Amino acid sequence: MLFVELIAQGLIQGSIYALIALGLTLVYGLLRILHVAHAAFFTLGGYVGVMVANQTGSLAAAIVAAMIVAGIGGILVFRLCYQPILHQPPFVPLIASIGLYIAAEELFRIIFGPSGLTYGYAFLQGQVVLFGSLRFKLAEIAVMLGSAAIIGVLSLLQTRTRIGVACQATVSDPQMAESFGISLRRVGDINFFVGSALAAFAGVMVSVLNNLVEPTMGSVPSYKALAIIVLGGLGSVRGTLAAALVLGVVESFGTVYLGHFLDRNAIAFAFLILVLMWRPQGLFARSG
Amino acid sequence: MSALLSVGAVTVLFDGVTALSDVSFDVNQGELLGLIGPNGAGKTTLLRVITGVVRQTSGTVLLDGRSLDGLPTHLRIRRGLALSQQIVTPFCGMSVIDNVALAAGAKKTASPVKALFHTRRERELKIGGELLARLGIESQANESPEIQPMGILKRLELARSLALVLRLLLLDEPLAGLNSKEARLLADTITEINRGGTTIVLIEHNLGEVLRVCHRLVVLDNGEKIAEGEPETVMNDATVRAAYLGTGAAAQAGERHAAA
Amino acid sequence: MEYEISLATTMAISVLFALSLNMITGFCGQISLGHAAFLGVGAYTSGILAKAGVPFLLTLPLAMLLAGALGVIVGFASLRVRADFLAITTMGVGFLFVGIVRQQDVLGAEMGISAIPDTDMSKLAFMLFAVAMAAATAVLSAYVRRCWMGRVFAAIAEDEDTVRVMGIDVPSFKLTAFALGTALAGLAGGLYAQHLKFIAPDSFGFIESITVLSMVVVGGIGSVIGVTVSAAVLSVLPSWFQVIGDYKLLVYGGLLFLMMRFSPGGMAALVTRVFHPDRWGAK
Repeated sequence: MLFVELIAQGLIQGSIYALIALGLTLVYGLLRILHVAHAAFFTLGGYVGVMVANQTGSLAAAIVAAMIVAGIGGILVFRLCYQPILHQPPFVPLIASIGLYIAAEELFRIIFGPSGLTYGYAFLQGQVVLFGSLRFKLAEIAVMLGSAAIIGVLSLLQTRTRIGVACQATVSDPQMAESFGISLRRVGDINFFVGSALAAFAGVMVSVLNNLVEPTMGSVPSYKALAIIVLGGLGSVRGTLAAALVLGVVESFGTVYLGHFLDRNAIAFAFLILVLMWRPQGLFARSG
Repeated sequence: MSALLSVGAVTVLFDGVTALSDVSFDVNQGELLGLIGPNGAGKTTLLRVITGVVRQTSGTVLLDGRSLDGLPTHLRIRRGLALSQQIVTPFCGMSVIDNVALAAGAKKTASPVKALFHTRRERELKIGGELLARLGIESQANESPEIQPMGILKRLELARSLALVLRLLLLDEPLAGLNSKEARLLADTITEINRGGTTIVLIEHNLGEVLRVCHRLVVLDNGEKIAEGEPETVMNDATVRAAYLGTGAAAQAGERHAAA
Repeated sequence: MEYEISLATTMAISVLFALSLNMITGFCGQISLGHAAFLGVGAYTSGILAKAGVPFLLTLPLAMLLAGALGVIVGFASLRVRADFLAITTMGVGFLFVGIVRQQDVLGAEMGISAIPDTDMSKLAFMLFAVAMAAATAVLSAYVRRCWMGRVFAAIAEDEDTVRVMGIDVPSFKLTAFALGTALAGLAGGLYAQHLKFIAPDSFGFIESITVLSMVVVGGIGSVIGVTVSAAVLSVLPSWFQVIGDYKLLVYGGLLFLMMRFSPGGMAALVTRVFHPDRWGAK
């Protein structure tokens, strides 16, 4: 039973990772930037979510508001922060992004205080019993189903709509796409909007799960999401999804079996380093 | 004549696709050999096998009768190979002459320890200055490569190769991206370098210049050697004509692409 | 006076630490987001040995040796992965270091190591010693930049594939950069442990790695003077101005972002741009 439980917990954690990492992959695929500041939208989502929820009493309103605010924030970051330094060597946007994230985390702390906010309503705290004897919070089930649904809808949009196809074309060959009249800036707007909105959704769900929003809630996911997109082969959406789930499961097993030697974050990065030394192009990237 | 470079039955497979199949030829001491063929024929792959960037699936490469197989790129260069790349790659953080001087400092950069205990470079700057003069770009010596036109950069690339301890110079499309006058001038310079005693393998799409300057040609098509010999004989060969006419349009498109 | 001496010591250690990262990231172009791990290796080595009765001055070479040896191992990663992948790998090394130390009782686990014994040096003498070490590192940096190794480093930073076809053994140069830089970080770590008398895993985490990177970046990647000045200033700003102390990370983060956004070459480039607008070298 422990085995099934660890798998289930790993998949729940993995789907949260997937939601966060997906935005990073969209950005990396398009701009070749490691967008560390992405996790700020995870935290932002948490804060907007908890405030709207406590005002309105509606979780749905909270999710929608969080996603829209974060989405717009994403576009602003793209236009104001990244676009002017795209032609610089890759470490420039990377370091800029780290700076941005640290500053954002501090702003959250200064504005909302260091101790964090909690929900005034008990959302999705009920429990269900699955697979015989395993108990899950409703919020955990909602995270899994929500992620699956969102990712499903996204992949449909990506293949069935004009703008989705344009995005895909741009990611695989930006210059070629531009010569076909696709605007890099517009695709960038969309990628940043969608990616940041997904992170905000994850932020709301995680804060509901833990009933806590705090300034530092994004720091671990942000670095871990980087590990995930690297594992997934940088820029590959499917690879990212697979890597997120695999890492979730590896961590949940690792914490049980290696916990006395390594903490959870170290397990994730030990796994990352091992994989990279074995396959420098990532776990799920095709070679060459 | 003795063979300086000897390519023996080299085969390269990429994911099951044959990039080179059983290619053999010799480059003689003092020769200017043209390596030609339509786009995708395997010329650049062959060059990469010689420099050790790509490992051959089978076959062997000898320089001066000694095998290069298994050696990393930098040791092959130290044995006397020099590569002038198709896409010019100057170091833009240093001046034109510093680029050449760095190459001329091979002895001082042989190991980190040697490099740590040497600071002087009068000798290397002198070599650099001479080479720049020889290639006619000495007036740009102290400028940044960043602002130079393609014609100058091609010559800088060549100067940097010449600064190495050189036995065999491999030139990958040095004329691509130049107009016909510039191409003719650079081809003349290449001939002069060859007359000075440097053995050269020239990969080039500009057939006019190739036929004008090369002593001998090796023709690749689809990863196989289809002809070898005197330029006129080779160009009259039916197989060669078929290879070129069949894919002529593609070759031209490739040239435009390379020029862009 | 004691306060000023302590501040000057902190400053000297920061300068030494920043110059050590500059060797790897500034000179050789190999980005590292986990450099604090090597400060940690040095600090733990020196701290534990000192507690075991080894004279402080003798712990320093050992701290350098161990940090440098681990640095070479991480350097091997730089031969395997590049640029973005290397950034993430080194970040992983940082997390790995903290994660491992945190769980080892031998290393004091979460509680860290405290009551590191005093040296026979007075506070003032220790400060002068730290300043001398930092100055020596600055001189070494300036020398490395001027010698042939520095020229090769600069070329590798720009385009390592081309350096390889120039017949230069890129891997051994990269490993040398890692060995030098991480050994110097180990030295800084030894001084750090002795200065504070107390070390814990969190002092060597990601934030510390980013702080030192921001010192390098703000000073101007590769510029010895720029990095020295910025490390000296940034390390004491929080203590001088209590306001900045409270918002220390906001200031660091903001500076890091604004520098990259408006002057990727750091202060050194700003200065060059102001005083020598015609110089092409600094971009």
